[in-house]
Amino acid sequence: MSREEPGFQDDKCSICGSEIDAHGSEERLCRKCEREVTGEANPDQDESVAGPYIADTRTYDIRFTGSAGEFFRIWIVNTFLTIITLGIYAAWAKVRNRQYFYRNTLLDGHVFDYTANPVAILKGNLIVGGGAVIYAMTEVFNPLYSAMVVLVFSLFIPFLVYKSLRFMSRNSVYRNVSFGFRGSLSDSYVTYLLYPFLIPFTLGLIMPYWAYAKKKYFFGNMQFGTTENKFRGKPGSFYAKYAQVSVFTVSVLILIGVVTFAGKSAISELFTGYTGVQNGMVLLFMFMFYMALFMFVTLIQQYIYAWMTNYCFIQSSLGSLSFQSTLKGKSLMWIRVTNVAAILFSLGLLIPWAQIRRTRYILENLKVVTDGNLDEFQAASRPEEGALGEASTDFFDLEIGL
Amino acid sequence: MIRFDANYFDGKTSISRTVIFTLYGKKAEIRGVDTGFVFTVPLVDCEISPAIGNTPRLIRLPGGAMCEAVDLDAVAALEELKGEQKILRLVHFIEGRWKAALVSIAGIIIFAWFFVVFGIPAIAEKAAFAVSADILNEVSNQTLEVLENRFLKPSELDQSRIDKLRRDFEEVLADVCRDEQCRVEFRKSPVVGPNAFALPSGLIIVTDELVEASENERELIGILLHEAAHIKERHGLRGIIQNTGVFIMVSVFVGDVASITSIAASLPTLLAQAGYSREFEREADEYAVRYFHQKGWDTESYREILVRITEKMTRYPGDSLLSSHPITEERVEDILKLEEALAGG
Repeated sequence: MSREEPGFQDDKCSICGSEIDAHGSEERLCRKCEREVTGEANPDQDESVAGPYIADTRTYDIRFTGSAGEFFRIWIVNTFLTIITLGIYAAWAKVRNRQYFYRNTLLDGHVFDYTANPVAILKGNLIVGGGAVIYAMTEVFNPLYSAMVVLVFSLFIPFLVYKSLRFMSRNSVYRNVSFGFRGSLSDSYVTYLLYPFLIPFTLGLIMPYWAYAKKKYFFGNMQFGTTENKFRGKPGSFYAKYAQVSVFTVSVLILIGVVTFAGKSAISELFTGYTGVQNGMVLLFMFMFYMALFMFVTLIQQYIYAWMTNYCFIQSSLGSLSFQSTLKGKSLMWIRVTNVAAILFSLGLLIPWAQIRRTRYILENLKVVTDGNLDEFQAASRPEEGALGEASTDFFDLEIGL
Repeated sequence: MIRFDANYFDGKTSISRTVIFTLYGKKAEIRGVDTGFVFTVPLVDCEISPAIGNTPRLIRLPGGAMCEAVDLDAVAALEELKGEQKILRLVHFIEGRWKAALVSIAGIIIFAWFFVVFGIPAIAEKAAFAVSADILNEVSNQTLEVLENRFLKPSELDQSRIDKLRRDFEEVLADVCRDEQCRVEFRKSPVVGPNAFALPSGLIIVTDELVEASENERELIGILLHEAAHIKERHGLRGIIQNTGVFIMVSVFVGDVASITSIAASLPTLLAQAGYSREFEREADEYAVRYFHQKGWDTESYREILVRITEKMTRYPGDSLLSSHPITEERVEDILKLEEALAGG
C-alpha cells in the first residue's frame, strides 16, 4: 500500500501543509491528518501520472475504531440508567449506543454521525410500548382479540418500516450531509405486506423475489444528499443463489437426519440393559445433534447474509462511488456462534463485545471506490425540518438488518 | 484562550476544509487554513453534540455548518465554558470509569432482583384482583373450550361415585370459597394423566386418572383445596401477568427481542417464571395444610398423593433429568415443616 501523496514535502504535512513537529523521519503527516490518512486513502495511482483518459480510481477503506472495553462501560451505564428510570432513558441510551458506533466509523478520516432526537425516540417507544401492553392484556383476557391485535399490527408494519427507514436515514450524517430515503409508502406495503402474504399461495417460490424486493426497497431508494443510489440487482441472481443454498441445505439435513437415526439406534443397541447409561448417551447424542443443527442453520443464515450484503453493495453506485464488500459466510458464522456462546456464558455481559466484534468485521470488509472524490456531494434541502407533520410522525427507528 | 484545529463542512456540500477554531471571549472565530475565509459566530449559538467515548467532537454552527474536531480536551474546555448539557456530560464522565461500570452491574442485579421478587408480583396481584368476574368467566370458558376439544373426554367413572365425590367436595368448597363460585367437574384425560386444574372462573377439573390414583377421599380433598387456593388467589391470572412483566423487563435489558441476544434472554426469563410458579404451588400447598390442620387431620394423605402423582407422570426416560421430582420432594418437606410449626404453635 503506497502512501505517496502528490505535493509531498519533507518538513510539511502532506495533506494540510502545516509544519510537522517532533515526528520521526518516516512521518509525513501532522497529527490531525495522520488520523485521517492511516489506512484510508490509498491512491491506486499517483495523480500526476494519470492522464485524462485513464480513470483515476481511489479505494477508501472503512475503518472502525470502536473498542469493546470502552463500549462496555457506555452500554452498562446506559442500561443501568434505563432500568432505574423504568425504561424512559432507553431513548437516550439508544442514541448514545448508536452514536458510539457511527462516530467510530471513519471514511476518509471523517466520522459518521447519528443525529436523532432522543425525545422523538421516546415518543416512538411509548407508542410501541403501548401496543405491547395492549397485546399482553388481550393475550390474558381473550386470545381471539390478541390474534386480531397481531393482524392489525402486521397491517401497520409496512408503515413502521417506511417511517423507520426515513427516520434512520435522515438522521445519518457524513461530512454534515444527511442521508435520505425516498421509497414510497405504497412500495412498502407491496414489499412488506403483499409479498409475504403471497408466500403460501406460491408455495414459497416467491421467497427469493421477496428478499430481492426488500433489498431493492432499501438500496434503490437510499440517497446521500441529493445523490441517489442506483441499485442494479436482479431477481435472477437471488433465485440462483437461493436454489443453490436450498439444494445444499436439503442434502445436509438429510445427512444429519440419517447420522442421527443411525447413531441413536446404535446407542440403543450397544447399551441395552444399562438404562441409565443409555439415557445419558442418548441425551449427549441429542445435544450434539442440536449443536450440529444450530451451527448448520447459522452457517446458512450467515452465508446468505454475506452473499446478499456483498451483492447489494457491489450492485450499488452512489454518483461516482461504487462499493466493494468482501464478507465471508464462514467468518460470520464463526463470529455468530462464538458470540452466542460468549453472551450465554457471561450472562449477557459480553453483549457489547459481541456487537463491536461483528460490526468491526462487517465494516472493515466494506470499501468505497471512486474515480472522483468524496467532496462532490450536494446536501439536499430539508423542507421537512420545519414541517411539524413530518417531524412529529417520524420517530420510529426499528432495527432493520441491512 | 481555546484554540484547536477542525474540519469544516458547510452543510451544502461534502467538501472538507481545514480550519482553526479560536474562541475570543464569547465569540468563536473560524479561519480557513488554506482557503482564507474567516468568520465569527457567537458561542451561545454553537451546538456541541454530547461526547461519546473517545470519538471526534462535532460542533454545529448557526446556519447549518459543522466543525469536526479531534482535540477532545479543547472541545471539553469549550463545553465547560458553555455550561450546557450538564446531565449528558455527567453521563459521559461516568461512562469513562470502570468503577462506575461495576457499580452499574451491581445496581442492575439489585434492581432486577428487587423488581422480579417484589415489584412484578405486587403489580400483578393488584392487576389480577382488578379484573371483573365477567371477564374471568369469559376467559375460562374459552380455555375450557380448547381443553375440551383437545385433551378432555367425558368422565367414565360410575355416576354414583361422581355424585358422592361431588357432594363431599362441594361441602369443602362451600367452606373455603366464600366470594368465589367454586365447582367441580370430572373428565377423562389420558393426555393430562392424574391431575386436577383450576380455571379462573372457579371451575375445578378433576381427571378420572386422579380419582383412580387416589387411595382415599382425603387425598383428593387435599388436591381440591390446593386448586381452590389457586382460584382464590387468582394465581393463573397473576402468573400470566408476571411472566409478561419479566419478558418486558428482560427485553428492555437486552435491548432487542429479535436477534441472537433473545436466546440469551430466554434463560433468565424461564428461571424467573419457574420461580413464580413454584411460589404459587407453595402458597396453594400452605392453604391446603392450614385447612387440614384446622380440621385436625394430618397431612400424610396429601403428601402421599403428591408423590404418587409425580411418579405416575414421569413416563419418558428423557424426563428423568428434567422431572419435577426434586420440586415435589421440596414441597413435601415444606408441608411437613409447616405442619410441625402449626402443631407446635
